[in-house]
Amino acid sequence: MLTSILKRTALTAVALAALSTAAFAQVNELKIMAPAAPGGGWDGTARSMQQALTTAGIVKSVQVNNVTGAGGTIGLAQLIGAKGDGHQLMVNGFVMVGAILLNKSPVNLTQITPIARLTAEAEVIVVPTESPLKTAKDLAERLKADPAKVTWAGGSAGGTDHILAALFAQAVGADAKKINYIPFSGGGEALAAMLGGRVTAGVSGYGEFEGQIKAGKLRVLAVSSSKRLENAPDAPTLKEQGIDLELLNWRSVVAPPGLSADQTKALIDTVEKMAKSKEWQEILKARGWDDAFLAGAAFETFLKAEIERVSKVMTEVGLVK
Amino acid sequence: MDTLLSLLHGFGVAFEPSKLLFCLIGVFLGTAVGVLPGIGPALTVALLLPVTFKLDPAGSLIMFAGIYYGGMYGGSTTAILLNAPGESASLATALEGSKMAKAGRGGPALATSAIGSFVAGLIATIGLAFLAPLLVELAVKFGPWDYFALMIVAFVTVSATFGDSPLRGLTSLFLGIALGLVGIDKLTGQARLTFGVPELLNGVEVTTLAVGLFAVGEAFYVASKRFRDPEEIIPIKGSLWMTKQDWKRSWAPWLRGTAFGFPIGALPAGGAEVPTFLSYSTERRLCKYPDEFGKGAIEGVAGPEAANNASAAGTLVPLLTLGLPTSATAAIMLAGFQQYGLNPGPLLFAEKPDLVWGLIASLFIANVMLVILNLPLIGLWVRLLAIPQPWLYAGILVFATMGTLAVNGSPAELTMLFLFGFLGYLMRRYDYPVAPMVVGLILGPMAEQQLRRALQISLGDPMILLENPISATLLGIAFLALIAPFLMQGLNKFKAAED
Amino acid sequence: MTNDTRTQGANKPALLVGVLLLIVAALVGYDASQQTITSTYGVGPTAMPYVVATGLVILGLAHFVVAFREGLPQPEHADNKALLWIVGGQIFLIACIALGGGFILAITVVFACTARGMGRQGLAIDAAIGFVLGLVIFLVFAKVLTLILPSGPLERLFL
Repeated sequence: MLTSILKRTALTAVALAALSTAAFAQVNELKIMAPAAPGGGWDGTARSMQQALTTAGIVKSVQVNNVTGAGGTIGLAQLIGAKGDGHQLMVNGFVMVGAILLNKSPVNLTQITPIARLTAEAEVIVVPTESPLKTAKDLAERLKADPAKVTWAGGSAGGTDHILAALFAQAVGADAKKINYIPFSGGGEALAAMLGGRVTAGVSGYGEFEGQIKAGKLRVLAVSSSKRLENAPDAPTLKEQGIDLELLNWRSVVAPPGLSADQTKALIDTVEKMAKSKEWQEILKARGWDDAFLAGAAFETFLKAEIERVSKVMTEVGLVK
Repeated sequence: MDTLLSLLHGFGVAFEPSKLLFCLIGVFLGTAVGVLPGIGPALTVALLLPVTFKLDPAGSLIMFAGIYYGGMYGGSTTAILLNAPGESASLATALEGSKMAKAGRGGPALATSAIGSFVAGLIATIGLAFLAPLLVELAVKFGPWDYFALMIVAFVTVSATFGDSPLRGLTSLFLGIALGLVGIDKLTGQARLTFGVPELLNGVEVTTLAVGLFAVGEAFYVASKRFRDPEEIIPIKGSLWMTKQDWKRSWAPWLRGTAFGFPIGALPAGGAEVPTFLSYSTERRLCKYPDEFGKGAIEGVAGPEAANNASAAGTLVPLLTLGLPTSATAAIMLAGFQQYGLNPGPLLFAEKPDLVWGLIASLFIANVMLVILNLPLIGLWVRLLAIPQPWLYAGILVFATMGTLAVNGSPAELTMLFLFGFLGYLMRRYDYPVAPMVVGLILGPMAEQQLRRALQISLGDPMILLENPISATLLGIAFLALIAPFLMQGLNKFKAAED
Repeated sequence: MTNDTRTQGANKPALLVGVLLLIVAALVGYDASQQTITSTYGVGPTAMPYVVATGLVILGLAHFVVAFREGLPQPEHADNKALLWIVGGQIFLIACIALGGGFILAITVVFACTARGMGRQGLAIDAAIGFVLGLVIFLVFAKVLTLILPSGPLERLFL
């Protein structure tokens, strides 16, 4: 198996040298690892990539495998172990940045080859419609007065929702350490807590709350993206309300370490071709994912900045010591 | 009246030949995967999601609903025949069901579970059609303190599975709760009892513990006493079908099971396990033949199986009315809706009545299809038990391995399966009940999380548990259930003294 | 037969379970004491472990009491050879998956060893059945469900 990979890599390299004028380098087969159980978000991304890559005829054979556990860090360790394999990709995202810190994982995202960011979803901060809070400013005032009395409902501890709540507290000058954030399992339970009026505010991806927002049961105080959302043009951004904060829950693909420049280029080209394909665009639309394609060096810079920001806020909140 | 008209209209949609076909494919796939331990309906729907991408929304959603109901039917089959509960909701079914199967009563056990599922599914789907808006109002009122109180009620009823020694039952339960602590603490995100092993961060999987203790443990146990006291498995003894007596003993548990399953399933954090436990212990208390419990009482299969299915329909209440996914399958069905740009929730009934009512009507049809599909299969399933014992148990271990690897393909998970299997063997040898351990693993973390959420909201004031009417009532029930046996004993003694 | 495991009036298995429970309780308690992060509000992640540890200590002590009274039920004689076959199959399974030997080989051995442990004499036939079973399961998962079970050299031939 190893020799066949080496041979294939060598062949690819030779082919590349011969066809240096070609616009795209070719990868004939790919393995995409979803570092989570089948059915989750990363698995969905991996399988959608498989679908787009094969139906658009970019890669002939694509295999998806699942490696579960520890917020994806077990999968990450396995990817790092596959050093030099130019046919292996792994799906990951913003959540993994936090999971690595939280789990004190021995491996981290500086050890891999970044390929590209694919999608992003804005987060929203919402309150029940009957809440007296009308704007993000109102929430900020309440938070500054007594952070204990402002209960936040959202996803898992150290996840995107939690980090946004902490960053929000910091940005408005409240004590981030004192936020009363209650993690719920899955958006459903958090949503029920909101609708039942058990908590002050809720944080989640926009998609999860969309139905309730449109039905008028929840009010959006702010969205975390840089621009207003197409689906919800009435909801103001945090920046518009004078709060200097922007956060996207992004998903990306990465490759094992130790790749040659050619191998990296071949993978980036393949993913880029997929991201531009009609098939991928259709999937994005159907699943309600926003295109956030960012490849190569630009993605690498972005990734570094995110890691720095997340580790800083997690230490300040006391999630990591 | 409006509801009835809409429902009739829905049947108009669901009876289109193409929709019927999707429904049939769904129930067939659902039953097939439900039978495999470890592969539940959630995984199947997830894997089929990309395939159905090009189908029309109504058709594929109807298919998913068929898979969902089918999976619930299929889950009981392995629990009864192989003592390998494929998901936590069929744990209670395995307790009495597997005992019945070994005594040659597998036929009636499967029949009462199929018909019970049908009855429960039917009633619960009617409930879904007519009571959903009302029920959901109540459901969102449930706060963390109320859930905590509900878990306490469930905990109290566990004593029904203790067998004859409370000490050994409690030991099993506490070890289960200790296992539930392993992994990342959901509320602070830090690791507990993982000892630096990354594979333990996700905690102990319920199905791994259940299949290990039940199926693998039993294989060890049977092998160890093969020569001295060979276990006899009788494929069929007496009627393959339910006798008149069986019917008489089944109908009330079906209805009670439904009464537990549907409302608790409709609660956003209710789940399917709690109602099955409640049903099991209720039947045990009410049963006219208490001696049969633990040896294969049909009530112990009829009740939990009905509760299991009713809770599956209950889960659809918050999903359709609020867009709240409260189980893994529901979460994936939500993704299925979103794939077509549909957002379940209050607006869906108004915007896409055809689709919603077509879906609800299909649930009725799926239910009928399932009972028609499953009843003739019983004869075939029971024959599985006629396989020579060495092959039967070898096959059970193969299936247990397969289920574990499909969900989590790591050697660490297999090691856990093996260790739990051996533990199950030792526990059987010294007569420790295994069920309380699994119950502890399921309920322990749920109770802990809800209590901590409640106290986080109240800023540490425990009075919140008694100030809220629902939680106060439930805690009262738990207290009564705890002291009732002692009171009864006292009363009986008093009566005996009077005589 | 009923009294042969009793030494000086104590029931050994019950004593052993008692000691094991105390060890588990100590582990749970120690782990909780090592936690660095606590909740700002309500009760922290250590409360439940301490409750569980306390419960386990009580149960452990209760086992000591039982050891000097009725003891644990006397187990039947166990056929260790049969157990060894099955345990061996399981250990091979774990090693085979861990070392990349693949699903089919692992299943073949598990099936054959378990059947042998259960008293069948026909290792070759059983291995053949196990092989076919493993192959069929692997192919169904790979082709129908697009789930790839752990693969070794053998499995790669079919992918």
